[in-house]
Amino acid sequence: MPPLPDPNGVFLNVPYDEEFRSLYVAYIVGLYQLDLVPHLSSEITGGDRRLNRIFKLIQSCRYSIHDLSRVEVSVAATGVPRFNMPLELGMTITWANLYPSRHTWFVWESEPYRLQRSASDLNGTDPCIHNGTAEGVLREVCNAFRRDHMPSVPSMLDDYRFVDNNLNAILYKNGTRNPYDRSVFMELCWLSKTLADLTRLGGPAV
Amino acid sequence: MRKPIHITAPRPTLEELEKRFRISEARKKELQALVDEFKAMHSIREEAPVNSSEPEKRRKRASAA
Repeated sequence: MPPLPDPNGVFLNVPYDEEFRSLYVAYIVGLYQLDLVPHLSSEITGGDRRLNRIFKLIQSCRYSIHDLSRVEVSVAATGVPRFNMPLELGMTITWANLYPSRHTWFVWESEPYRLQRSASDLNGTDPCIHNGTAEGVLREVCNAFRRDHMPSVPSMLDDYRFVDNNLNAILYKNGTRNPYDRSVFMELCWLSKTLADLTRLGGPAV
Repeated sequence: MRKPIHITAPRPTLEELEKRFRISEARKKELQALVDEFKAMHSIREEAPVNSSEPEKRRKRASAA
């Protein structure tokens, strides 16, 4: 049996593509505003098989968010749909069904009712609908999770805009164009956490 | 609609994050400069003669701390 999960840990199962980057930043900023800790599969390193490492990361988090808003067939060179997100969602559902006190999962979508067509086995699941906007992501983070002294969505949006405006500089400094790279994710986390501590009622985390 | 989950776990600290991710001191200084810029931006906004919303008040208190 793996150790107990981080009670603030949230495994983020999101598409790693350029069009998604604003929503990706919104997830990181929004979760830190509620003092939750996002985790991404790209942060894990090691020699173990990738799928095993992802499963360990899911097990180490109390919550997970599975964003299925980009279910379209890829128009990139591969021309094939990406199955990683549904695969990781399936692994998570199995884990949560076995140990419901250890894990709670959420499905996120940009359009209402589309989930019923793309994954009808999930009928009965209420997805969080973010409408494909950063504001929608922040709003839905607040709808999914509550914490004492949480910030308002406009205040979160303010922090999000600042981080998003600095993303290109962070990418440049890390010598990459990929916002999902481990080094960029690390810095987005650091910046989001620091801003969240700064703006939280009552000052830094205690 | 699903009921929101009320999180009661202790808040994570920046130190915990820094243990998880090792960011160089030089790079941390650069990121801190961004944070200072953010603080400065909000100080400027506080002086603007507009209706002060609650988030702005909170920022003012946090900046003053």
